[in-house]
Amino acid sequence: MIEVKGLSHSFRVGKKGKETEVPVLKELALKARDGEIVSIVGRSGSGKSTLLHILAGFLQPDAGRVLVDGTDLTAMGEAQRAAFRLDRFGFVFQNFQLMPGLTAFENIELPLTLKGVPASERKRKVEELMESVGLTGIRGHYPNELSGGQQQRVGIARALVTEPPVIFADEPTGSLDSETEQDILNLILSLNRKYGITFVIITHDDEVAAIANRQYRMHDGELAEGGIRHVV
Amino acid sequence: MSFKDQIAFVRQHIRRNRLRVFMTVLAATMGTAFLIVLASVGFGLQKTIKDDILSNQMVTQIEVYSEEMTDAKADAMKEIDHVEAVVHRKQLVPAAIGELEAYKGHLNTYFTNFKDEQASGFRLAEGRFPEKPGEVIVGSQFAAQLIAESVEVKEGEEPASYDGSVIGQTFTFSFEGENDETASGTWPFTIVGVKEAPGKDWAFDGYLYLDESFMKEIESAYVAASPDLDEQEDMPFTNSSVNVYADDLANVKAITQKLKDDGYAVYSVSEEIEQIDVFFLALKAGLIFVGTIAILIASIGIFNTMTMAVTERTREIGVMKALGAGPKLIQRLFLMESAWIGLVGTVIAVVISYGVSFAANAILPIIVDAALGGETGDSFEVTFSVIPWQLVLIASAISLTVAMISGWRPARKATKTDVIGALRHEL
Ligand SMILES: Nc1ncnc2c1ncn2[C@@H]1O[C@H](COP(=O)(O)OP(=O)(O)OP(=O)(O)O)[C@@H](O)[C@H]1O
Ligand SMILES: [Mg+2]
Repeated sequence: MIEVKGLSHSFRVGKKGKETEVPVLKELALKARDGEIVSIVGRSGSGKSTLLHILAGFLQPDAGRVLVDGTDLTAMGEAQRAAFRLDRFGFVFQNFQLMPGLTAFENIELPLTLKGVPASERKRKVEELMESVGLTGIRGHYPNELSGGQQQRVGIARALVTEPPVIFADEPTGSLDSETEQDILNLILSLNRKYGITFVIITHDDEVAAIANRQYRMHDGELAEGGIRHVV
Repeated sequence: MSFKDQIAFVRQHIRRNRLRVFMTVLAATMGTAFLIVLASVGFGLQKTIKDDILSNQMVTQIEVYSEEMTDAKADAMKEIDHVEAVVHRKQLVPAAIGELEAYKGHLNTYFTNFKDEQASGFRLAEGRFPEKPGEVIVGSQFAAQLIAESVEVKEGEEPASYDGSVIGQTFTFSFEGENDETASGTWPFTIVGVKEAPGKDWAFDGYLYLDESFMKEIESAYVAASPDLDEQEDMPFTNSSVNVYADDLANVKAITQKLKDDGYAVYSVSEEIEQIDVFFLALKAGLIFVGTIAILIASIGIFNTMTMAVTERTREIGVMKALGAGPKLIQRLFLMESAWIGLVGTVIAVVISYGVSFAANAILPIIVDAALGGETGDSFEVTFSVIPWQLVLIASAISLTVAMISGWRPARKATKTDVIGALRHEL
C-alpha cells in the first residue's frame, strides 16, 4: 500500500542568482492499494515523471510524505532508499534502460546480483522468468541485438525478478507500436493477476490507462482521481 | 552484491575498454618499474660497498685506543659479554735492525701474546707458534725487508732482498745506535712460523712478532745502553694497540658501545657500516622520491581514465542506482577498477624490474670493463642493482596507494550521479 500526502515539489531554473521557482507538484495526494494497477495520465510537462521519481525515491520532495506500507520514504537517507528500492520496487522505463555491456540474461539477473543472491539460484530464477515472459532463445543477446518489444520484455523481467510487491512503469509502451503495446499490456495484466503485484503506470495513452483499477489524471501539478474499478 | 560478482562486474567494464585500460596500466607499469629500478641502484651500490668492507676486514674486530693502556685494562675487556678475544700488541718504538746472513733491514716489531692472537684468529701460513724462548713469528713479507748490502744496486733496479724460505732461519735483533749498533746487545731469534698474508693485496705485513715475555729484557738492555734517554722522555718504548674481537658481527655494535661508555676511543666496522647505512638510507629515500614522481605522473593517467569511465557510464550508474545499488557499492566498483589498474601495473612492473635488474648486473660490468680497457681485473665485482623484498613492498604500496587516491575522486563523482539526470542521458 502506497500513500502520498501533501506532496509538493518545485524546480529552480535559470542562471545562478537569477533563479526562478517553477512549481511542478502542488499539494497532491495519491493512494495505491496492494494488487492494484494505478495509472496516471496527463499532458506532457504536467509533472507525471516527477511524481514517479518521488514515489521511487529518486528525488526528495520539498514537502509531503510518501508512505510505503507505513514507512516514510522521504525520511530516509540515500543509501537507505536504495536498499529499500532493491528490496521492494521494480522499475520499467520508456526507453528500457538496459545495461549495454550485459546480455539479456545478465540484465535480468542484475537486481538479484545486487541483492547478493547465489549464482545457481539466479540462474534458475532468470531462466524460469525468461520462459514465462516469452524471451526464449535470446539469452545471450546484447540489448542492441534485440527489438524494442524484446528489450521491454527484458526490462519487465528485470523488474520482476526480485518479486517486488510494487512495480513502477514510466511510459512502458511509449516506444512501441500498438500491437507490441497490446502484448506488453497483456503481460502486465497477467503478472498483476498471477502474482498480485501492484503497478503504478504513467502514460499519456488512454488505452494504457484503461487497464488500471484506479486512474489518476494529472493537470498542471494537480492530481484528480478519475474512477475506480475494483480488483477482479 | 557478493565480492565475486563485484569482480566480475569490474572485469566486464575493463573488457569493454581494453585499449584505454591497457594504456593506463602501461603508464602505471612504467612509473612503478622506474621507481623500483632507480631505487635498486641505491640498494645495489650499498651492497657492493658493504660486501667490499666485510670481505676485506676482520669484521668482528674492534680497535680500541687509549693514552694509558695497560694489560689489566685489556684483560678487563675480556669480561665484556660476547668478547671472544682481546689482543694487546705493543709496537716497539726505537728503531731496530735485523740481520740474516748478508741481508739486513729495519724491523717493525710487535710484542704480543700468542695465546690471545690465536684466539683472535691469527693464522700461520707455514710453521708453528713459538714454544721455546728465542722462537718468533714473522709476517708474510718479512723477507722482503732484508736487503743484501754488499751487492751494488744498478740504476732502475730494485735492491736484492732475501728470497729463501725464512722458516728455521736465525737472525740477530739489535737496536740502531749512533755509534755502536750493538751497545745494548744483540738477540738471536729463530723464525718458526710465518703469518698468513693479509686479505688486502696492498696491506703490507713485514712485522716481527715477539712474545711479550721478551719485552722486559730488551727494554732494560735498551735503557741501560741509552744514557741520554732522559732527554727523550716523551718517547715511549712501545705503543699499545688493543683489538677486541666479538664472537659475532651482530654483537660488534653492543661491544663498541660498551667500550665507548667506558671512555675508550673505539673504531669498528659497525661504525663504518652505520655511516654507510645512513648515507644510503638518504640516497635510497631520494631515489624513491624521484621514482614516486614517475608514479604520480602515471596517476594522472589513471585519474583521466577513471573520470572518462564515470562520464561514459553515467547512464549505467543511473540505472544501477535506480535498481537499488547504494552509493557505497558504486564507489567500491570504481575504486576496484582503479585498484585493478594499479595492481596489474605493479605486478608487471615488479617482473620487469627484476628482469632489468638482472640484465643490468649481467651486462653493465662487461661494458664498464671494456670501457676501462679490461684493466679492472678479477677484483672488480660491482652489483649495480639489487631489488630486496622491502623495495618491492614499498613500491607496491606507493603505486597502489596512488592508484586508489587518483581513482577516489572519480569514484566519488560516480556516487553523486543524479539518477533522474542519468536516466535521461542519451547513449
Ligand atoms: N530537473 C528539472 N529541473 C527543472 N525543471 C524540471 C526538471 N525536471 C522536470 N522539470 C519540469 O517539471 C515539469 C514536469 O516535468 P515531468 O518530466 O514530470 O513531466 P511529464 O508529465 O513526465 O512529461 P512527459 O509526458 O513529457 O514525460 C516540466 O515543466 C519540466 O520542465
Ligand atoms: Mg515523463
